[in-house]
Amino acid sequence: MHFEVTELGAVERALQAEVRQFLTEELPRGSFVPGLGMNAAKDPAFSAKLGRRGWLGMTLPEEYGGHRRSMVERLVVTEELLRWGAPVGHHWVADRQSGPIIARYGTEEQKRRFLPPICRGILSFSIGMSEPDSGSDLASLATRAVRDGNGWLLNGRKVWTTGAAVNDWMIVLCRTTPVEEGGDKRSGLSQLMVELSADGVVATPIPFIDGTADFCDVMLEDVYVPDEQVLGTIGAGWTQNTSELAFERGGPDRWLSTYLVVEEYLRGLERGPVPHEVADLLGAAAANYWVLHHLTLSIARAVDEGRSPSIEASLVKEMGTRFEQDVLSGIQALIDLEPGLPARSMFERLLVTATLTAPSFTIRGGTNEILRSVASKGLAPSGGSR
Amino acid sequence: MTGQDLLAETVERLLNATPPGEDPWVDLAAGGFAWVSVPESAGGSGGDLRDAASVLRVAGRHATSAPIAETMLGGRLLAGAGLKVSGGSLAVVPGPGLAVVDGRLTGSAVVAWAAEADQVLAVVDLDGSPVLAAARPEQLGIERRLNMADEPRDDVRFDVALSELVTAPLPDGAADDLQRDGCLTRVVLAAGALQAISEMTIDYTSQRRQFGRPIATFQAVQHHLVAVAQSAVRASMAAETAVRTVQGGGGAWEVAAARVIVDEATIEGTRAAHQAHGAMGVTREYGLQRYTRLLWAWRHEYRQAREWRRWLGSEVASSGADALWPRITR
Repeated sequence: MHFEVTELGAVERALQAEVRQFLTEELPRGSFVPGLGMNAAKDPAFSAKLGRRGWLGMTLPEEYGGHRRSMVERLVVTEELLRWGAPVGHHWVADRQSGPIIARYGTEEQKRRFLPPICRGILSFSIGMSEPDSGSDLASLATRAVRDGNGWLLNGRKVWTTGAAVNDWMIVLCRTTPVEEGGDKRSGLSQLMVELSADGVVATPIPFIDGTADFCDVMLEDVYVPDEQVLGTIGAGWTQNTSELAFERGGPDRWLSTYLVVEEYLRGLERGPVPHEVADLLGAAAANYWVLHHLTLSIARAVDEGRSPSIEASLVKEMGTRFEQDVLSGIQALIDLEPGLPARSMFERLLVTATLTAPSFTIRGGTNEILRSVASKGLAPSGGSR
Repeated sequence: MTGQDLLAETVERLLNATPPGEDPWVDLAAGGFAWVSVPESAGGSGGDLRDAASVLRVAGRHATSAPIAETMLGGRLLAGAGLKVSGGSLAVVPGPGLAVVDGRLTGSAVVAWAAEADQVLAVVDLDGSPVLAAARPEQLGIERRLNMADEPRDDVRFDVALSELVTAPLPDGAADDLQRDGCLTRVVLAAGALQAISEMTIDYTSQRRQFGRPIATFQAVQHHLVAVAQSAVRASMAAETAVRTVQGGGGAWEVAAARVIVDEATIEGTRAAHQAHGAMGVTREYGLQRYTRLLWAWRHEYRQAREWRRWLGSEVASSGADALWPRITR
């Protein structure tokens, strides 16, 4: 395990300033309802604007509409978007993981078909992993595909699938070889790209704890998936999916979800010296944001240098998501208002949403218990001297 | 490989070669490592704060009991006052508490390694300007005390005419700089020690067997391994980033933030490491306690984390909502 200290270079700083200016002009504070990190609203027009600026699919090859920029540059952009509460919902999954996984495992034809619209911010993706009986134990999933002509016939059910009722595509992890034939349960899995408007796909919103309806239940009934929509190799789905999870885990979306609650709390403070307990909370929050920013930057730099810091990403996601909750608890303990709706301030609105959705931070993208197991496997005895 | 890596490797080799029970100071002093970051023109070994930090980090990783941090801090104070270092160790009065009254320097303080130092240094305020006052231990009333890790932390009483001490003016802000730099030494030492206890915990739990298998294969124990690894990682990142910032000029904000992080890491990391070690870890026969006792002692030196946290929080509050994000990502 290795975290090298790194700093932003001149080009990266310039990009940061450019994104800040863009957000101030395009989304002035007060002109929109900011979201909480990656839970922010879907706004296809905004995603398209980002696409035109070259800030989607940044790390993808130029021949497919990408920009061949670094992971650090992508981090600079995503940090600014999340910290602003920008409506990133439409492109978030496609930009973060579907695009990169298609770029890595897709056929030439798939790359030409999917990557350019992902980079333009016009194609949205859902993650077809969890099932009613397969959450943390993902390899036990029951959705299966059987051979049918020049394709596959898919049956099963995915659940807790964000955006499936409105998104365009879903990458479905499913079983293509029964466990009895494949040996262990991690083999015989495959990733299929399913058009969410296809026959046999029925996505129904599951009301979320805060009353929103992005979470979905997806029934897959005799959905025909042609061979050209198989992602990568049949049977290699587990490995491919694991590398997709690495894209999902190491970013600033794992510690910025409640940042705006802190910022708005700060905005509401009266001028002048603050009480000790307020200073204590703000000091601890600032210190943690600072170190998480540097840890995330270090992970992105490591990827750019050709390493694959998946253990590091798990470690940081586990502590980042706990911090998102801790800092919220700290704010809750300081305030005198009784949070309610309709909100009387931006702070109250964000606080209510954050309070209701916070339990999901340490669950989505791999529960903290699973992340600790993943991370601990990378903590091998060093044999080093001491 | 950077200069810092080479330096760290050299110190690592030296400390590995020091037999248990033997004072590592002799070899560290002979190699000049306690004067890294003190300019050669002042009799030091040269190098910058990053070099000094790489020495301290290794010292922390080895739970080295020697006045290295104090000698570095003292050496930089002497150099800043235009004076030269001697070949012996230095002690530094860590904070305010001394006053000059009618030409006499009076007051008391807890000072690390005071009795064996060549000189005990204090930054005193003289008519609003900082002045370095250097005393010989025999000019002071010194009572030996130890911190929880058995390191000398002496009760030192000053009651001496300023004219009997070596004095020289220091640059403005020297007292604040000493607070910042002193705190930074504890942060860096602690980062090294936390890395060591993380490695020890991984090694121990992979060897210790219960219920027929290594305890590291139990999920509940794995969670402790992750907690202590996270503590080490956060502390290292905070320490190294703060060192870089101070080297570039300023850095009080970052040192305060690093202190806050290292304090949290110390609480979480030592608790998880001990829990994973079971009864073995709470015996003097086993090395874990050398590290955890040091970590617990360092928490209280150069003002404890609470004060740095409050100062940082007050800075954040007075800078306002729009300044927080640029500050975090500076």
